Amino acid sequence: MKQAHILIFIISLFLSIGGFSQQKTDTIKLKENYGLRVGIDLSKPTISFIDRDKKGLELVGDIRFLRNYYAAVELGYEDVISTEDYLNFTSKGSFIKIGVNYNAYQNWAGMTNEIFFGGRYGFSFLSQTLNNYSPNVNGTYFEGELNDVNTEYKDLTAHWLEFVLGMKVETFKNVYLGTQISIKKMISTKEPENFKNLYIPGFNRVFLNDMGIGFNYTISYLIPIIKKNK
Amino acid sequence: MKKHIFHIFILLVAFSSCEKDDICIEATTPMLVIRFYDINNPKTIKSVNSLTVWALNKDSIYENKAIDSITIPLNLNENSTVYKFQSATFIDEISFNYNRNDIFVSRSCGYKTIFENLSIQTSNNWIKDNLINNSTIENETSAHINIYH
Repeated sequence: MKQAHILIFIISLFLSIGGFSQQKTDTIKLKENYGLRVGIDLSKPTISFIDRDKKGLELVGDIRFLRNYYAAVELGYEDVISTEDYLNFTSKGSFIKIGVNYNAYQNWAGMTNEIFFGGRYGFSFLSQTLNNYSPNVNGTYFEGELNDVNTEYKDLTAHWLEFVLGMKVETFKNVYLGTQISIKKMISTKEPENFKNLYIPGFNRVFLNDMGIGFNYTISYLIPIIKKNK
Repeated sequence: MKKHIFHIFILLVAFSSCEKDDICIEATTPMLVIRFYDINNPKTIKSVNSLTVWALNKDSIYENKAIDSITIPLNLNENSTVYKFQSATFIDEISFNYNRNDIFVSRSCGYKTIFENLSIQTSNNWIKDNLINNSTIENETSAHINIYH
């Protein structure tokens, strides 16, 4: 029910924006690049440099298929150790997110910067390894000893939806710096037995209400394939 | 509409990330609940006038208490726990044997241990009889063991 509402919300955003985007055409012909833009998330290598428990890589790409619409994809892998009060686990896996961005920014002639929002469908294929835990007990009369179990739960999956908001700025010719934040809502997961997917590559920490947040900071290059009249 | 997208987004962020799950509020490893009954009238609860309880080689949990039910922790690192129960000057030794099973609770609580197939052996100085009501200890809602004295 909740998911349906979110979907309707996202669709209605697109519809309402569509109504505003009809503008009078200019008489001056300007060529604009329509092409494949590929890039890499700079935040993940930076974070793994600071925090050795977090390793990951994320590649991003998009193709402009209409004047203000971009088909976008993010894919990568993560290998993250999470430490909680009573347990420690490693989440490892790859992810892909596909969706559409709508550029809501009115550029000056010849510029192709973006302030965009959009939606994504995300999928992750992962494994969880429970490294160790100590059973939680009230009081100190008997305390739970640390169990180094190293139980690996393989072949887990997760599907989710994202709402993204971000911007891209052309800093050099065809080179873009971009950032986006995303709110995620889990659709379904294959959970490990007697454990839970508490962290999912691409989704990040799974909050209690199956929500997640994320961000990236990308540098990307536009491979100009087609030039179209504006 | 366009103007409001950013505001809606900020609101979404604000509401989505607020839910707390880093404080453990769920029930964790349960304790063993014991109730004391009258041996001559097994349906009647009878308190022990001066009860002292301790696990072998440990400090006492209850000391000279007039009480009709107690909760004691079981050793969650071994499959048995030996307790001494002293009433006035009489001491009985009870060993509790069980299997352990660790169950995942939540991120903040981690795992809890539940105890299964509970059996007990007791000396009979002041404890005359016992009854296991529930051989699986997974909560503390009712007495797992009745002790008759």
